Amino acid sequence: MLKKILIANRGEIAVRIIRACQELGIATVAVYSEIDRDAMHTQIADEAVCIGPAKSQDSYLNMQNIISATVLTGAQAIHPGFGFLSENSKFAKMCEECNIVFIGPDAETIDNMGNKAKAREIMIKAGVPVIPGTEGAVEGLEDAFKEAKRIGFPVMIKASAGGGGRGIRVVKEKSEFNKAFETAQTEARVAFGDDTMYIEKFIEDPRHVEFQILGDNFGNILYLGERDCSIQRRNQKVLEEAPSPVMTEELRKKMGETAVRAAKAVNYKNAGTIEFLLDKHGDFYFMEMNTRIQVEHPITEMVTGTDLLKEQIKIASGHEIAFKQEDIKISGHAIECRINAENPDKGFRPSPGQIKALNFPGGIGVRIDSAVFQGYVIPPTYDSMIAKLIVYGRDREEALNKMKRALGEFVIEGVDTNIDFQYKILNNESFIQGKYNTGFINKEFKL
Amino acid sequence: MGLFRKRKYITISNTKISDDDILGEQQPIIPDGMWVKCPKCGRILYNKDLEENQKVCGNCNAHIRLTARERIELTLDKGSFVEFDADMKSHNPLDFPEYEVKTTAMTEKTGINEAVITGMGTIGGKQTVIAVMDSHFMMASMGSVVGEKITRAIETATGKELPIIIFTASGGARMQEGMFSLMQMAKTSSALAKHDEKGLLYITVLTDPTTGGVTASFAMLGDIILSEPGALVGFAGRRVIQQTLQEELPEEFQSAEFLLQHGFIDKVVERAKLKDLLEQLLCT
Repeated sequence: MLKKILIANRGEIAVRIIRACQELGIATVAVYSEIDRDAMHTQIADEAVCIGPAKSQDSYLNMQNIISATVLTGAQAIHPGFGFLSENSKFAKMCEECNIVFIGPDAETIDNMGNKAKAREIMIKAGVPVIPGTEGAVEGLEDAFKEAKRIGFPVMIKASAGGGGRGIRVVKEKSEFNKAFETAQTEARVAFGDDTMYIEKFIEDPRHVEFQILGDNFGNILYLGERDCSIQRRNQKVLEEAPSPVMTEELRKKMGETAVRAAKAVNYKNAGTIEFLLDKHGDFYFMEMNTRIQVEHPITEMVTGTDLLKEQIKIASGHEIAFKQEDIKISGHAIECRINAENPDKGFRPSPGQIKALNFPGGIGVRIDSAVFQGYVIPPTYDSMIAKLIVYGRDREEALNKMKRALGEFVIEGVDTNIDFQYKILNNESFIQGKYNTGFINKEFKL
Repeated sequence: MGLFRKRKYITISNTKISDDDILGEQQPIIPDGMWVKCPKCGRILYNKDLEENQKVCGNCNAHIRLTARERIELTLDKGSFVEFDADMKSHNPLDFPEYEVKTTAMTEKTGINEAVITGMGTIGGKQTVIAVMDSHFMMASMGSVVGEKITRAIETATGKELPIIIFTASGGARMQEGMFSLMQMAKTSSALAKHDEKGLLYITVLTDPTTGGVTASFAMLGDIILSEPGALVGFAGRRVIQQTLQEELPEEFQSAEFLLQHGFIDKVVERAKLKDLLEQLLCT
C-alpha cells in the first residue's frame, strides 16, 4: 500500500481524499495557494506545502511546483482530485517520468479520452453506440456544414477539447450554422487553446445518465450503477440522484455492460465515468468519458456501499479490485444537492465572503462533503461550492423528504446560497414524479 | 489560526492490506535533464516543452544553443540529409600539449568528431549544401578540420552549382593549431569567392555566439546574412575593446539586434520562422 500521498487539489475533494488516506493509515501532504493558508485541507493534512499565489495558474495548475512538493516531501503518489490537473495528460506523463504514481488512468488514456473527437472514434470502433455525428474532427467550416446537412438538423457543434459547457452551440436551422460554428470555434480556441471541432446530432431533451467505472491494473473492469444528472443549469450539474428514476434492471445491465466495453477499449485503469444520453425511447448514446473521480461520486457510494476514494488508492497501490460485478447491488436511493455560494435571484452570481454562522444538517442518512467551517472566508478565486449535501433513504420518496428536511436545517449566513433554488426543484411536480430531462431547469424556471 | 487540532495520526492497523510490500518503498526521483534552467532568465523549463518549442525559452524567448545535429533536424526536410566527411578528425600539427586529449574528450562528450557537420539535403524540396558549426565542441573553434570541411562543402556546392547555407558559431580560431587555424580564414573565403563567381547563393545564419576569426572571414561574407534573436556576434571580446578604446560600450553591443541596426546583418529571424524563410530564399 502506498505510504504517503500528495493531494493536488483543494476544497471539499481535497478533504475527501485526505479522509480516505487517514482511514487507510496513509500519510498525507496538502498543497495550498497563499490564499488557502487557513483552508481546511491545509490544516488537516499531516504536511502542507505552499505552491504559489492565489491564481490557479500559478498554484494548483503549476505542475513544476507540485512535482517539486512531491519530491520534497517524499510523497509516492499524487491524487489529482477533479478539475485542475486531473485530466492533464502532460502532468500524468510527468508523474510517470518521476516515478510518482498518478492516481488515475495512464497518460495515454487521458489523452485519448480527453480529445472528444478522438474518443468518439474509439467508441465507434468498439461498437459502443454514439450520437450520430462526424467520425472524428471536421476540417473547417465547409466540411462542418456538409456534415451537418448529412447528419440532419438540429445539430450540436462541439469542441474536441471542450468541457464545462463551453465551445458548444446548438443549431436548429441551416441558416444559423456558419455563425454558430465560428463563435464556438473562437470560444474553444480562447478557452482551451484548441479549436478542433466535431458535430453531433442534437438530441432534444435527453436524460444525462452516467455510469461509474472502476478498473484495476490487471484488466478487471466493472460498473457500479448509474447516476442521473439531468438537472443542469447551463450544462452545470445542480442536483444528482442514484438510481435514475427511469432505470430498469434490464437497461442498467445493458448500459453498464456497454460502459465496461467502452472502458476496456481504452484499457482503463482506476475510477472513471462514462456519460450517456438517454432519449425518451430508451435508446442511449455515448457522450463522453471523464477520466477522473467526479463531484457526484458520493451518491454511488451510498447506494452501493463502497468507498470510491479508497478503491482508487487501493487500485493505484497495485491491488486487484476485491469484489466482482455480481457482488455489486444497488440498494436504496441517494440524492445530492450542490450547495453553492451564489445568488439565484441575481443570475447565480457568485457570492464569496466570510461564513458568519454555519450549521450542518444531521440525522440518519445525511452526509455532508464540505471544506467550510464557521468563520471561513470563501475566496473569490476558485469555484463557489460550499458543500455537497447527500441524503440516503430506503426509497426515492424517503430520500426526497429527507433532503427537504435536511435543507431546512442547513444554516449558512454571510454568503448567499442556492438552497432556496434547490427547494424549488425538490417541490416541482415533474421532478417529484421523476419525469425530467436536461431541459428541466430551462423549461421550469426559464433559465 | 488553525481551527483544527493537528493530531499526530495514530497508526491505523489495516491487517487485511498492510501485510504486503506493494509500493511500500517507492520514492519519487526526478530524472536528469527533465527540467532545464534557461541560461538567460533562469526559469525552470520542462524539457519536453522546451524541445517542442525548438529549444526556445517559453518565458523570455532566449534562443538556447542547439547542437549541429539538432539544427540539421530542425532545418532540413526529414530524411534528406547526406553527410560529408563525417570521419575527419584533427591531428596535432604543432605538437601542442594536451591537444589530442582535449579533442578525444570532446568527441566523447558530444558524439561528433569535430566542431562542424557538413553535407547536403533539401529544404522545402530545394537542394542545398549545408554546414552547421557546433559550439558544444571546443566552443566551435576553427582549426584545420573545420576549415577543410567547410571549404570542401563550398567546393561541392560550386561544383554541383548549388547554394550553400552556413550556420556559424565560434569562439574564434583554434589556438592549439596556431597559423594553420588562421590560414583557414583565407582558405574558406577564397573558396567562397569561386562560389560567388558562378553567381551562386550563399546564406549565413549567425548563431549565438559567433566571434573571432570566423566572424572575420566566412561568416560575414554571405549574400544574405541572417541571425537568431539575441545572438552574440562580434570579433574581439567586449572587454578588450572597452579597454583599448577606454570608452563605455552600449548594453546591446555585439547583439544581433545591434548589428541589424548598424547594417551588418540583413534580418534577425525567430527560430520557428527560420526554415520557412530559408525555403523562400532558396526558391528565388
